[in-house]
Amino acid sequence: MLAFQTEPTTLDPAFAVDYSSGLVASLIHSNLVCFDVDGRIRADAAGSWDVLNSGREYVFHLKHGRFSSGSRVKAEDVAFSFERLLSPDVHSPRWWILKDVTGAEDFHSGQKSTVDGIEVIDDSTLSITLERPVAYFLDLIAMPSCGIVSKDAVEKEGSAYGRRPIGSGPWALYSWKEGDLLRLVRNPYYGGYGVAKQSVGGITFRILPESMTRVAEFEVGNLDVLEVPRAELNRWKSSRAKVLSREELRIVYIGLNNRRPPFNDVRVRRALNMAVDVQSIIEHVLFGAAVKADGIVPPGLRDGMQPVDGYRYDPEEARLLLGEAGYEDGFEMEIWQRENPEGGRILESIQGYLARVGVKVRIVTREWGAFKEAVDKGTPDAFYLDWFADYPDAENFLFPLFHSANIGGKGNRAAYRNSVVDSLLDEASMTCNAARRSVLYLEAERIIYDEAPWIFLWFPVKYEVVSKRLEGYRIPLIFNGQRFLDVEIK
Amino acid sequence: MLKFIAKRLLTLIPVLWGVVTVTFIVMYVVPGDPVRSIAGERYDEQTIEELRAELGLDKPLAVQYVDYLWKLARLDLGRSFVTRRPVIESIRERFPRTMLLAFSAMLIAVVFGISIGVLASSPRFPWLGNSLMTFSLVGVSIPVFWLGLLLIYLFSIKLSILPPSGYGGGSIQYLIMPAVTLSFASMATVARVTRASFLDTVGEDYVRTARSKGLGDIMIYGKHVLRNALIPVITIVGADFGSYLSGSVLTESIFGWPGLGRLVVQAILKRDFPVIRGAVIFMALLFVIVNLVVDISYGIADPRMRVGGNGE
Repeated sequence: MLAFQTEPTTLDPAFAVDYSSGLVASLIHSNLVCFDVDGRIRADAAGSWDVLNSGREYVFHLKHGRFSSGSRVKAEDVAFSFERLLSPDVHSPRWWILKDVTGAEDFHSGQKSTVDGIEVIDDSTLSITLERPVAYFLDLIAMPSCGIVSKDAVEKEGSAYGRRPIGSGPWALYSWKEGDLLRLVRNPYYGGYGVAKQSVGGITFRILPESMTRVAEFEVGNLDVLEVPRAELNRWKSSRAKVLSREELRIVYIGLNNRRPPFNDVRVRRALNMAVDVQSIIEHVLFGAAVKADGIVPPGLRDGMQPVDGYRYDPEEARLLLGEAGYEDGFEMEIWQRENPEGGRILESIQGYLARVGVKVRIVTREWGAFKEAVDKGTPDAFYLDWFADYPDAENFLFPLFHSANIGGKGNRAAYRNSVVDSLLDEASMTCNAARRSVLYLEAERIIYDEAPWIFLWFPVKYEVVSKRLEGYRIPLIFNGQRFLDVEIK
Repeated sequence: MLKFIAKRLLTLIPVLWGVVTVTFIVMYVVPGDPVRSIAGERYDEQTIEELRAELGLDKPLAVQYVDYLWKLARLDLGRSFVTRRPVIESIRERFPRTMLLAFSAMLIAVVFGISIGVLASSPRFPWLGNSLMTFSLVGVSIPVFWLGLLLIYLFSIKLSILPPSGYGGGSIQYLIMPAVTLSFASMATVARVTRASFLDTVGEDYVRTARSKGLGDIMIYGKHVLRNALIPVITIVGADFGSYLSGSVLTESIFGWPGLGRLVVQAILKRDFPVIRGAVIFMALLFVIVNLVVDISYGIADPRMRVGGNGE
C-alpha cells in the first residue's frame, strides 16, 4: 500500500499532467515502449521496432497484448491514442509530445483530418514518420500521455474515461473512492515489459494530504513505502528502517528575468550566483537532502558527460562584479514564489545572503496559477521554481528551459536567448549518435551555465523508507519507471 | 408553524442568490488562473487559449454569470475544470461523509458538553467544577491540528487501538478520532455555557417554588432547571454548526477523511471554480436549514418562543 499527497485528477493519459495522475495512468496503460527503474527504454506493447530513414521513421511490431477488458491491443488502438492526443477537439495540454510526427501540426490546427505520419500497416504493425530525426523520440512516446487507450472504452465512456480507464498496462483500476483511495489489481492479460511477481495481487494508493498522517500510517504498518519528510530525515536515518535514496531528475533554481536590467548584465547574474552559499542552505535548511547544482543536467543523466565547474560561494568577488557592472551600492529586486512553506524558508536564507552584497530582496508569494501567469509574461524580476524531467534525457533540461523558441510557458521562463546555444540544441536533438549528442549538450550546458541565466540551486535527493515485508522495491530514476513488477511481499 | 417554515424557506432564495453572486465575483477578483493549473509545466499560449475557450472562461464575465445562473436554475452545477467530473457527483459522494463526521462531533459535544457543564455546576464538589472548567478552557484553546496529531500518536502509534486515518467505509473505529477532534472546541464551549446557564437558572424563583412544593433534586434539576438552562446551549450548538463545517477542513486533512472540506480546499488551491461554487452553495444551503431547525427547536425547549401563539 502506498500514499499520495494529492489525488490524481484523471487517469486519462491525454490529460494526466501531474505526478500522481501520470503515475497511476502509466500503471494502467502500457506504451509502445517504457522506462525501467533505471530509466532505460524497454519494449512494452511493441515487442520490437525498426528505425529507418536515418531516424525519420519508426516501425513498431506489436506483441499480442490485451487490454484489461480482454480485447486485443491492435495497431489501430495505438494510432487512435496518438491521434486523440493531437486532436483539435480533445485539447490535450500534452499534444506537443507528438508535434514532430509528420502532419501533426496540420492535424492539430484542424487543417487536415488525419495525421499523415501515423500509418496502420496491419493489426500488429504501425509506422510513424517524423518531420525530422528526433533522437529522443522513444523517450517521448514512453511518457504517460502516450499510453495506449482502448478505442472501444474511450468511445463508450466519453468524458468519464478518466475515471474508468481501460488500458493494457500491468495493473487495472478496481475502484476509485474520491478523496480516500484508489485500488489497482493485476491485469490478468498483461503482456508488456516484465512479469509481475505473484505475491502482489494489487496496489492501493491512499490519499493523505498531511505528511504527519502518512508517517503515522507507515509506523503502524499500513503503508509499505513512505517518502520521508525532510524534517524527519535524521530520525529515520538513525532508525533501523530500510531507507532508500536517489537523486531526483529535478533542478531547483531562481530564474532571473534576462530581459530587463540589471539581470540582462551577465556580471550581475554571475555575482548573484557567487553571493549565495548554496551548500550551506542544503545542509541547514534541506537537512542535506540535495546536491548542489554545478550544472543543469542532473547527475543521474550525465553518463559520459563531464561535470561543469560550479560557482563558488565568494561574496567578495560578487561585490566586485556588481561594482564592475555599476551596482556597487547594490539594488532592490523581487523574487516571486508559489504558496509553499519550504520555499519561504529557502528564500529567506537567500534573501539574507543577497543582503550581504547589497541586494535587497522582497519575497512575493502568489497562488500557483497566478504565479505561472505572471512568470510566463515576464512580470517578476526573478522567481523560485523547479523543473521535473518528463523523460530521462539531457534534452529535457536544456531545450525547453533555455532554447529561445521556448520563452514563456513552454519552459524558458527566464527568457534566456543565445543563438549559439539554440543551434547547438537544435543540432543535438537531431543527432542520433549518442556520443556526439553528449558533446553537443555538454557544450551548450557550459555556455548556459557560464552565462548564469538563473541562480543555480540544487538537485533534490529523494528519501523513502520501505516496510520490512516489502522486497525488491527501488526508487525509479523517472517516476513512471517503477511499475511494481519486481516488488514482492514477504 | 408550517407557515413559519414556508416563510423561512422562501427567504432561502435571496440568501442563496447572494451567496452565488458573491462567490462568483470573489473568484474573479482573487488572482489565480485555473487554466494554467490544469495545463502542467510545459505548454504554449495557444493551448492555454484553447483550454480557456473550452471551459467557457473566454466569455465576458456577465455572460459567464448569466450562464451559470441559468444552469443553476436547472440544478446543474457544471463539471470540475480539473477532473471533468460533474460537481454534483463529487458533492453527493462526499457530503454524507462530512455530515456523518459533523453530526457525530455534534453529538459528542452536546452529550459530553452538557454532562460536564452540569457536573461542574454542582455546589457539592467545587473542586470538580474548577478542574472541569480548567479542562474546558484547555479544550477551547487547543488547536485542532495539534490535538489530531496527539490523538493519532497516542491511540494509533502507542496504544494501537484505533487506525490513524482513513474513512474505512464509515465504520466506528475510523470515526472516533476525527469526531472527537472536531467536537473538542465546541464541547468545551457547550460545557462552559451549560454551567453558567445552569447556575443562573438554579437561582430563579420558580426553582425555589418547585423546591417548596417538595419536589426532589432529580425532578427539579432534570425537568425544570435543565430544560430552561438549555436554551442558550441550543443557540450555541446551532451557531457552532458553521464551525463544524469549517473545522472539518482541517480535521479531514489530518485524518485523510474524504469529505466536503477537503474537496473545497483542493478546489481552492487549483482555482476549480465550478467545484468551489457548488460546494459553497451547498454549505450555505445547509447552514440556513440548520438555523431553521434551531429556531424550531427553541419552540420545543421553550413554549414562550413558539411562533403563531395559540396551540400551534
